[in-house]
Amino acid sequence: MKWLKDHALNIYAGLAVAYMLIPIGVIALFSFNNPQGRYNFTWEGFTLDHWKDPFAIEELTDALITSIELAIVATLIATALGTLIAIALVRYEFFGRKASNFLIVIPTATPEVVIGAALLSMFLLPPFVDIISLGFPSLVVAHVMFSISFVVIVVRSRLIGFDRSLEEASRDLGAGALTTFRTVTLPLLMPGIVAAGLLAFALSIDDFVISNFNSGTTVTFPLYIYGASQRGIPVEVNVLATLLFVVTAIAMAFTVWQQRRAEQLASVRPAE
Amino acid sequence: MLVKLTAAIAVLVGTLVLAACGGDGGGLESGSGDTDTSDIPTAQGGEPSGELTISNWPLYIDKQTIPNFEQETGVETQYIEDINDNTEFFGKLRPQLSQGESGGRSIIIPTDWMAAKMYDLGYVQNLDKSAIPNVEENLIPSLQSPSFDPNRDYSVPWQSGMTGIIVRKDLAPDITSINDLFDPKYKGKVTMLSEMRDTVPLVMKADGVDPAEATDQDWLDAIDKIEQAAASGQVRDFTGNDYADDLTRGDVVAAIGWSGDAVQLQADNPNIEWRMPDEGCMLWTDNMEIPIGAPNTPAALAFMNYVYDPEVAADITEYVQYVSPVAGVKEILTKRDPKLANNQLIFPDEEFTADCTIQVSPEDEEGVTEAFETVLQG
Amino acid sequence: MSTVRRRLIPYGLLTPGLLWLILFFVVPMYFMARIALYEGSSTTGYEFAWNFSNFSDALSENDTQFVRSFYYSGVATVIALLIAYPLAYAIAFRGGKYKNLLLFAVVAPFFTTYLIRTLAWQTILSDESFIVNALQTIGLVADDGRVLDTSGSVIAGLTYNFLPFMILPIYASLERLDTSLIEAAKDLYSSATTAFRKVTLPLTGPGIVAGVLLTFIPASGDYINAEFLGSQNQAMIGNVIQSKYLVVTDYPAAAALSFVLLAIILILVVLYIRFAGSEALMGEEAEKA
Repeated sequence: MKWLKDHALNIYAGLAVAYMLIPIGVIALFSFNNPQGRYNFTWEGFTLDHWKDPFAIEELTDALITSIELAIVATLIATALGTLIAIALVRYEFFGRKASNFLIVIPTATPEVVIGAALLSMFLLPPFVDIISLGFPSLVVAHVMFSISFVVIVVRSRLIGFDRSLEEASRDLGAGALTTFRTVTLPLLMPGIVAAGLLAFALSIDDFVISNFNSGTTVTFPLYIYGASQRGIPVEVNVLATLLFVVTAIAMAFTVWQQRRAEQLASVRPAE
Repeated sequence: MLVKLTAAIAVLVGTLVLAACGGDGGGLESGSGDTDTSDIPTAQGGEPSGELTISNWPLYIDKQTIPNFEQETGVETQYIEDINDNTEFFGKLRPQLSQGESGGRSIIIPTDWMAAKMYDLGYVQNLDKSAIPNVEENLIPSLQSPSFDPNRDYSVPWQSGMTGIIVRKDLAPDITSINDLFDPKYKGKVTMLSEMRDTVPLVMKADGVDPAEATDQDWLDAIDKIEQAAASGQVRDFTGNDYADDLTRGDVVAAIGWSGDAVQLQADNPNIEWRMPDEGCMLWTDNMEIPIGAPNTPAALAFMNYVYDPEVAADITEYVQYVSPVAGVKEILTKRDPKLANNQLIFPDEEFTADCTIQVSPEDEEGVTEAFETVLQG
Repeated sequence: MSTVRRRLIPYGLLTPGLLWLILFFVVPMYFMARIALYEGSSTTGYEFAWNFSNFSDALSENDTQFVRSFYYSGVATVIALLIAYPLAYAIAFRGGKYKNLLLFAVVAPFFTTYLIRTLAWQTILSDESFIVNALQTIGLVADDGRVLDTSGSVIAGLTYNFLPFMILPIYASLERLDTSLIEAAKDLYSSATTAFRKVTLPLTGPGIVAGVLLTFIPASGDYINAEFLGSQNQAMIGNVIQSKYLVVTDYPAAAALSFVLLAIILILVVLYIRFAGSEALMGEEAEKA
């Protein structure tokens, strides 16, 4: 009985984690399915065929590539802009600070369907209709827009817990403000910026609602899936989704391993 | 805290106040309605080259046609499957069409009634018939003169199909009429289409009303009947093609559905079968059109001409398994796959479709559509 | 550096990002507000007419969907909180070496597309599936009942899809917790439960607030879960907006509906923060440079 009490929390955590991973298991499982027709809903037999050629469907592969390109561009822009805003909001007291704070937060409180529709109504009017064409450009604009707020929130929380003494030490040693920023602040801030960037990337790759309104004829990965869900999702979609998951898992494992190594190396001291 | 609440309200009110100023509201304020037909441009033919973008329904073409077309003409073709629902596609495209833009598309393929609606709104061009001789030659007689485009001035059929009942014959063998879908025995196991012009006329037919003669009140009465079934849970869901997964899993035993899908579904589950309702089915055709502002109309017309070559048309029909509008396809397929050629769903004879009705629109389109949409949104 | 230049620095930093937000968030909202005041129909054309009745119509015609949406997202948020807190606690305090691995497992759903994982639930919760059959045997589901296409499945979908948003902020605040405070409480003879109630819980308040907001707000406007996992009787306000905008193309009604939704969410959020404390949302005071 005591064993149960002691380990209740762990058992619970195990069950909860399993719950989180069930759908991923199902998706991966059905990537090995061998359906006779177009529809991949019931198990019909195991095959590795679709894994051997996951890029068989050209439109699907194009959509995935488009999504990745879009996510990279949007992430770079959003992370840069958002980091600057976060620094301004945390480090400086200025007129309009509260209003800016408010403006940053409002997009996160706005339902995606509203943002998507509003953006579309604007993109169709001059001068926007001539400058930003409905397609990849409008998608970049939209994705950067909804990512900035999240980048600010993440970087800001990192900045708030910052140990200023290192910066002060740098200034004491004669470094100018910009140099200090470049050589001390920014590197220390990097984990937060990277985290924010990863979040922006994930949000962009996954976005469906806002993209649905603003994509023109461009097809992103989620948009392809939405269309295909009406007519039978090809097994290749499951394969690519599983691949995406595995690649991200490896990337995360790599960053964690790197972090650990960095910590270990940092703790190595030359012999006294 | 009060500051923040005030700020929030200020922003909302301020936005509304700003709304008072400002000029043009954009494309929405331009009037719509019947366009003077003499103003409609004609899409010109010519030597095909350059790039082409086509919008179509998903899984509605075989894998070889586009690459073959590209090879034969040198036209770089982007084929997008972004039509999932006529009204949704129209809604998505409308803001651009009202400004004379097609969003880069040169061919769109809506269903009859939407094809007509777009033409009436001036969103679609007439076609240079000299550029599509294959169409003139090979279009089957029954599709040569539809009521909405008697001379086929602006539309060229892509594929036709029938809407009826798709049934799990192992779970619901006795369903033969739309009225059977209202049988409490099948409560929660039945779906209907979100396409108003399929579902409502079928319900009307089952009650003895001819959709071609129906009044707006007839439509609304049928919608009332559907509404009750929806609210009570008799109808489990209103679907697009996604009735496919419900049927395959057995969550649903009968669905109002499209003929071509059933042929495909049978491959995964032989218990699935399309049935002609006792009172007849709905007939529809998806049509290729060239929207206003379309780039590269020579290439678009060349494509239309290309797919009316019976060999090419046979390729498409063999894969898609809907009804081809091109004469000569049956003969070609008889040699390739006799079973396919004898399938009534792909090559229906007159007798099979005797009681079927071509899709129509109600007179008060907006009012009836809104009434139906309200049912779909619970 | 001169004082004037110094004072301009924050504005310099802010401008690119804020400009983007103003141009691509505030301005579209303005246009949408304008459209919300139009009068007319898609056949006769629209014109700007200070038509405030659009707002009251939006509210009265769709009150069922509004109530339903907030009910679903409210329940989903509560369930997510109940699932997330112990899980975050377990990872933070019992995770040890496996902390990052567990955290990843928890965020993993994020890396499969939203649509696919919702569709996976369609398969998992279908009438003849293993899970539903098990639930029927236990008696949680009636023998002739179903899970899919009910409010249960929509809430389950919402909970699942937004769980990472709930877990991460709570985990972050738990991780930063100074465990010596809990030890101190125990030294002062409080039981584990009391220590939790009086030390841990209040100190992780900001995390809970952030998690609740990050879950409730997007869930209220969601329509994907209702579309794939629910029937017409589970339609949420997001479904209505999408339908009015893309299907019926009744733009004034859609725009008015969007604003009413936005307004209600803002009011609920402000009330909640009033009740729960505001540091988590707005951030702390600026440090004096």
